[in-house]
Amino acid sequence: MSDIAHDEHLHESTGIETRKLAMWIFLSSEFMFFGALISNYLLFKGRVGYPEPYPSEMFDIPFTSVSSFVLLMSSLTMVLADHAIHRDDQRATRTWIVATALLGMVFLSGQAFEFTEFVLHDPPMKISTNPAASAFFTLTGFHGMHVLIGVIMLLTLAGTSFRKGRLSTATGLNLESVALYWHFVDIIWIVIFTVVYLIK
Amino acid sequence: MTTDAPIKPHPSPKQYVQIAVILAVLTGVEVGLYYIEQAGVSSRIVYPTLIVLAALKFVIVVAFYMHVRYEKSLIARFFTVGFVGALMLYTVVLGTFGVLAALGG
Repeated sequence: MSDIAHDEHLHESTGIETRKLAMWIFLSSEFMFFGALISNYLLFKGRVGYPEPYPSEMFDIPFTSVSSFVLLMSSLTMVLADHAIHRDDQRATRTWIVATALLGMVFLSGQAFEFTEFVLHDPPMKISTNPAASAFFTLTGFHGMHVLIGVIMLLTLAGTSFRKGRLSTATGLNLESVALYWHFVDIIWIVIFTVVYLIK
Repeated sequence: MTTDAPIKPHPSPKQYVQIAVILAVLTGVEVGLYYIEQAGVSSRIVYPTLIVLAALKFVIVVAFYMHVRYEKSLIARFFTVGFVGALMLYTVVLGTFGVLAALGG
């Protein structure tokens, strides 16, 4: 039965599961989206003559390094969940999904703290302070929104797992697709951390 | 049953942890380079190194955690088309506005 359900998701000509293929096509298009936002930041970060402070004067590198580490480690817990479901180890799958969601929430809390610090700083750096700040908040805000969507998908998977007692790979929201999305969010942060935070 | 099976076997949990350690070390080196640049080492040395390290982390996550290394080549092609397309487009855009020259110091 599950084999039949699984086969319904297979793409006839490629031999790749339709949901997985759809996720790869979506992620491929997301490069354009984040490429635009990163380019926008690079374009505006050097523009002077606007009210200060600029993002590069505000960064707390040790704090952001810890956030980056947390997101990197969430990729580890995510891949361990993916590995566990392929072995049909439901308990481990559930544990690693919840761990990934928690690490995602820690990252989001860090971002909320960082944004709050910037806005409460004297003088404050708000989205309207200067074009660089605007580009920074847009880029990191959209990335944060992607992380939030990932956390919601993970919690949905965890909820399904607790409710039904097991996660199926055949139907519904697929762990492998969510894992791909999560790792994508991680690789985008790898670029943002270097290009936005570490390179002045 | 399914034609969606990976081409090569995926890494073990132990290997995933080893990969995570490598990623963590690379991140540590990146942060260290940031402070080295703050201490006065030329950005002409530090910035390209940071970009190489970020690219390395990027490739490691894509290859091992996203399993591109172990899957059908079609997936790698989808990924490459999106990534290289975006890279080329925005390199041209940033080059046009002189941003790349400014980054090079």
